[in-house]
Amino acid sequence: MKQTALDKPQPAQPRPEIIAVRKTCDAEGTGLSHYILMDKRVKR
Amino acid sequence: MSLIPAAKEEGSAAGPLPPFHTIDIGHATHVALVEPDTAFWGLVRKDRLADPTAVAQLGDIYRVQADGFAREMDMLRFHLRPSAVYFNPTERCNLNCSYCYIPEDMRRNGEHMTAAAMLDALERLHTYFRGHMPEGRLPQVIFHGAEPLINRRVVFAGIEAFADRFRFGVQTNATLLDDEAVRFLTGHGVGIGLSLDGPEAEIADRTRRRWNGTGVYDHVVRAMERLDGYAGYNVICTMTTENLPHLTELVAFLHAHRVPACMLNVTRCTLPGARRINGGDEAMAGAYIAALERTHELYRETGRKLVVANFANILIAIMAPTARRLMCDISPCGGGRSFFALAPNGDLFPCSEFIGLPAFNGGNLFRNPIDDVLASPPFKLVSGRKVEDIAGCATCGIRHFCGSPCPAEAHEMNGGMNRKGAFCAFYEEQVRYALRLIADGRHEDFLWDGWDEDAETLYSIG
Repeated sequence: MKQTALDKPQPAQPRPEIIAVRKTCDAEGTGLSHYILMDKRVKR
Repeated sequence: MSLIPAAKEEGSAAGPLPPFHTIDIGHATHVALVEPDTAFWGLVRKDRLADPTAVAQLGDIYRVQADGFAREMDMLRFHLRPSAVYFNPTERCNLNCSYCYIPEDMRRNGEHMTAAAMLDALERLHTYFRGHMPEGRLPQVIFHGAEPLINRRVVFAGIEAFADRFRFGVQTNATLLDDEAVRFLTGHGVGIGLSLDGPEAEIADRTRRRWNGTGVYDHVVRAMERLDGYAGYNVICTMTTENLPHLTELVAFLHAHRVPACMLNVTRCTLPGARRINGGDEAMAGAYIAALERTHELYRETGRKLVVANFANILIAIMAPTARRLMCDISPCGGGRSFFALAPNGDLFPCSEFIGLPAFNGGNLFRNPIDDVLASPPFKLVSGRKVEDIAGCATCGIRHFCGSPCPAEAHEMNGGMNRKGAFCAFYEEQVRYALRLIADGRHEDFLWDGWDEDAETLYSIG
């Protein structure tokens, strides 16, 4: 199987004692349920 | 999962801590502390849980941010306005899938929308959206079904005429997606969703068949080949008893075909037919998480992601609630408030899931102002359904990472809007897994690259 940089074994790092993250933005991407619409209009 | 509030901690000098829920996420070293109303959370190493200073660090962040989080959740839950429509240009379908939420008679003998009605409908929708959406942001119209391409001439006429006024998408079973259709849709930048339930015909055709019983797997695979390289397409798989053992093979199949994104959806149990092939929470969670792990292995092997969009949305709901894209797993759900569904005769429903339920018709696009329809009793029944009113959800620690979907299912299957949907335990497992990924620092591998490029980081610890 083809090897990539992602394949390199990563040393096991102890995880931090506390992990927390929160981001915020305008809620403009919301809207759908049954369907995925990409963020940007796409062309071939 | 422990979903009951933990005993109140002593807190720091700044005052008592909020009533965090302690949630066992099934991780070797970390547990989650959650304040459900604001969707605030932190992961704490288990051996530090008894240390007041460790927990107080989270409490200090919470005290500073809580009011802002509460406002954010209030806006997201109660003050969004519609920005999308599920547009059904026909009631008919050339397939008879096991789990369809549209009644059989409608799919066999239903009506098409005319070209004139299509243009009239899009004009009315454009006028409505322009009244509240900011300049530069286009409303979304998703042609949905039934099978929208059965009325392809009319659909394409609508896309052609309104190309600059909406972002369009089409959800199709792929049977009518020939070269000409692909050229038209990709040339207009239209999002294309295909449906496929298995990695090989014998599995996929168990649930997705024509009226005569023959499967359509080959059509979908040919469509995937035609769409190879087009970034705006995705594949939706419905998880059932028929394909659960094959989900990992399915995501590998999609990845091998360079599909950019997929959804692994539960079988919505609105109509009885779907309930017969409901895979069950525990089996479904196991197969689903195994499939997600397979997408991760494939990403590590190839550097190319297959994003499972419905799971990515759960991760985003945890880390950045306002950046979410899908509106099933939020309370109230997006039905009748951030989107609605349009039937070929102009009747309006809170969501496609309700199109077969006449009691949820809130009015008609050609006769009633949309704002009146949004305020109608059938729409309010859906848009007013919130976790605070649902037994078992009101005290649940993850109520705003799950949202207790789906109202159609709760109403039709479980007896009312104040009941849970069909997949409570599945959603719990999904959230636990998402939090484990965050604990392991693997979560970004499951998200679109650049998913947060427009987001501001309020805090990031660890």
